[in-house]
Amino acid sequence: MIPPAERLTVRLTVNGRVVEREIAARRSLADFLREDLGLTGTHVGCEHGVCGACTVLLDGRSARSCLLFAVQLDGATVTTIEGLTPRDGLSPLQQAFCDMHAMQCGFCTPGMIVATTELLENNPAPSEGEIREALGGNLCMCTGYVNIVRAVVQATAASPGTAREMS
Amino acid sequence: MSQSWVGTSLPLKENVRLVAGRGRFIDDLGRPGMLHAAMLRSPHAHARILCIDIERAAALPGVTAVLTGADAARLSGPIRPLIPTTAAVPDYCLAVDRVRYVGEPVAAVAAVDRAVAEDALELIRVEYDPLPAVVDPEEALKPGAPLLYPELGTNVVWHDTLSYGDVDGAMARAHGVLRERFTIQRYASTPLETFGAMAAYDPGTDAFEFWTNDQRPGLTISILAASLGVPQSRIRLSCPDIGGAFGNKRRPAYLLICALLARMSGRPVKWIEDRIENLTALMHACNGVMDVELAYGADGTLLALSVRDISDEGKNLLTPTQHNLIKLGNIANGYRIPAIRYEAWSVLTTKCPSGANRGIGKPFMCFAVERSMAMLARKLGLDPAELRLRNYVTAAEMPYTTPPGAQYDSGDYPATLRLALERFGYAGWRVEQSRARQEGRLLGIGIATSIEPAGTNLASYELITGRRTVSGSAEAAMVRMEPDGNVRVAIGDPASGQGYETVIAQIVADELGLTPEAVAVARGFDSATTPWLYLSGNYSNKFSVTDVGAIVGAARRVADKLRRLAAHRLEIDPADLELRGGAAVVRGAPDRLVTFAELARTAYADVLGLPSGEEPGLEARHAYQNPLAAPVDADRRVRSQLVFSNAAHCCLVEVHPRTGVVTILKYLVVHDCGRELNPLIVEGMVHGSTVHGIGAALLEEFRYDEQGQLLTSTFMDYLKPTATDMPTIEVERLEHPSPFTPLGAKGVGEGGAIPGPAAVANAVEDALAPFGVTIRELPITPERVWRWIAPDQGSPKRRPAVAPGS
Repeated sequence: MIPPAERLTVRLTVNGRVVEREIAARRSLADFLREDLGLTGTHVGCEHGVCGACTVLLDGRSARSCLLFAVQLDGATVTTIEGLTPRDGLSPLQQAFCDMHAMQCGFCTPGMIVATTELLENNPAPSEGEIREALGGNLCMCTGYVNIVRAVVQATAASPGTAREMS
Repeated sequence: MSQSWVGTSLPLKENVRLVAGRGRFIDDLGRPGMLHAAMLRSPHAHARILCIDIERAAALPGVTAVLTGADAARLSGPIRPLIPTTAAVPDYCLAVDRVRYVGEPVAAVAAVDRAVAEDALELIRVEYDPLPAVVDPEEALKPGAPLLYPELGTNVVWHDTLSYGDVDGAMARAHGVLRERFTIQRYASTPLETFGAMAAYDPGTDAFEFWTNDQRPGLTISILAASLGVPQSRIRLSCPDIGGAFGNKRRPAYLLICALLARMSGRPVKWIEDRIENLTALMHACNGVMDVELAYGADGTLLALSVRDISDEGKNLLTPTQHNLIKLGNIANGYRIPAIRYEAWSVLTTKCPSGANRGIGKPFMCFAVERSMAMLARKLGLDPAELRLRNYVTAAEMPYTTPPGAQYDSGDYPATLRLALERFGYAGWRVEQSRARQEGRLLGIGIATSIEPAGTNLASYELITGRRTVSGSAEAAMVRMEPDGNVRVAIGDPASGQGYETVIAQIVADELGLTPEAVAVARGFDSATTPWLYLSGNYSNKFSVTDVGAIVGAARRVADKLRRLAAHRLEIDPADLELRGGAAVVRGAPDRLVTFAELARTAYADVLGLPSGEEPGLEARHAYQNPLAAPVDADRRVRSQLVFSNAAHCCLVEVHPRTGVVTILKYLVVHDCGRELNPLIVEGMVHGSTVHGIGAALLEEFRYDEQGQLLTSTFMDYLKPTATDMPTIEVERLEHPSPFTPLGAKGVGEGGAIPGPAAVANAVEDALAPFGVTIRELPITPERVWRWIAPDQGSPKRRPAVAPGS
């Protein structure tokens, strides 16, 4: 077993950039992103893998960054909300969240965007039930999910040919 | 005024940064040299602290300071309570010689990082002498119960009976009296961002600086200064973006711990609560027991209401009695009840401190009254909607004063329910329900209606203390037109998701004849730059009642000055000018104008061009006090809250007869919060608050065992609503503006959290009518439902059919 405070060197790709760092073995991916890389868009809401605020894409799949150690990720590709946000303006999905007022305090929002990104990559025209299922691991304490679901529906409807009736 | 921005669904300015992860929350902040704090917490519900050994923790490399309760008592004063107890019981930021709930902080460490601070906690040795826990508030009332504070001689913080009208006479003359007992569990809104604080100490000026997501900065600053023994002028407190609050985000003790560690270590100290700390120790809504006696006439007319209410405060010395007082102010719900008696206990137990949580006491009060109405309807063979319609305060009676002194200002309660029934398709669902029952399906329809007050008049605490120390309902704001003609606004109320940067810009844009883009509203709060009062903060639905007044008042001062400066320039009367399109324009002569940029240049730069006697600058502050707030009167009546929104909820559920799982098939809300300043924000809050109500009804419970151990301290066992559980909340609205708020708006933040639990419970009870189940407790978990119907595990078809409307 590696002592928790021991430091290991890892090399991974974060938002398209290769990062090589010496990291304490016990540092979570969430803390690494926030504290070491300054990527504070990834939020920490429960630190036990339930709330989904810290969701990032790990090799293209959604993952709880609070439940991963950064040193596990040698060679991995991580995408955070910063990596999903265009340099100028917002992505169509982010714009849909704004148009539908799909957030209030905004603390869950980055995790919601990340989780929805994964959903839409696998299923460009999800039904309402599929949207709710895909976001079932992301807690929002403000919106009751109503406008979040509407925003995802709008985002899918905005892509030509993918509109589908809400179930 | 050229265009009204108020009332439009302007998309939110702040969402653009939040959706990109560019919010700035407390844990996103840092300072050079900053240390991280962690807290050691009591594993016992009740114990004497015999000794604390911090030697090994202090010696751990990376640890800079260790603070114990004894240190805290030496280095700071006790935290000043809002309600003084009968004898002084000093309450420090850390437990000193006794712990009184699981999770109470007993020591704190500041270290180079959070992990090292937590390592150090493991090296602190505390010897406890366990004492008996007292978990049940009714047990806590009894003589001989374990006492949290033996020096008080009781666990009861407050016990009193307030009586309005001839309750006993009405009970004696009544056709009947419904007598029921209801309980409510502990739950909390659990904002997704936990509590947090950062403190820095400057020994050169003996001054403290705080950054925190505390939602009531005005009150907190006064507590911090008193405990730290420094003048308030040497405390600066700021709030960044706040990731939800719902009343929960207030705990001066944590700020004090950071401050003491910062002073000891000479470095800034940040502490971010983890989720287990949040669920275990921040704040729960009071659990409680309520005995209701509701006297009625043969036609269902309500004659009197007598309530005996026990609020379990846990170890809440900061704000006990708050739940009681607010229940008293809302006891009549939307009904005309001529005589009311309220007997209240506010009781300490060895559990997490209670405190403000979306709706404070109102969800339980509404649950008790609306459950009683459902039972009474069944008893009288009336449709539950009809019983309500017979008893509402009507629009013609507004403003209507309830026996305890609450004033319902506006609204049409019967119209609200009628619209809800129509849009919900109530009659049709009753038919469908009967049909479904024939097939053995358990469909249920629940109605609950509510009032939703806004603004708290702190004078109501005089009912408890017998004297006035704090009072009123007020807020302060600043509006400044900058030298380039753009506008900046700051207010003493830090938003926690209510869209203030947008809605305030809309209000100011209307007042000054600008677009909202030209108005920048400061994020959060900064005591050094924001105007603020002791009453300042983000609580009690107060935006519409006080904040709007402060904003409008400050904006109008700037508007008046713009008109005076322009009138001077154009040599006409200021009354002949209107502000629109970023200019002061002569009425009837639209080509005669002076732009704000020109006026601002004069005001700040070319000050010799000002009219004589006019101050340079274009900045105004205004503190607004809502005139409805008044002291307690001689009959102990008071407007504890000021204006009242109202709502009707209709809920359709299906209960699975074998698993006890409740599924919400349809949920509709009709609400009336007066003039909607931004309907997009309003609707979002109705959705969210309703889901809080559903969570309390079906999922959420802080459950303690007999030893006072919290059994639900993670999100694995304290269950929150998820996207998969929740229905789409349908929302319809009415708009009856309040005559008593500056723009006619009323509160909407608590909204659905108030009637939600009752609506769901009424629906489930209706679904379970074939089993004769009566719901007196929450949450309605599958296990509970299964136990209620377990004796009849067979098909409900065998049970006699129940008439629709039951």
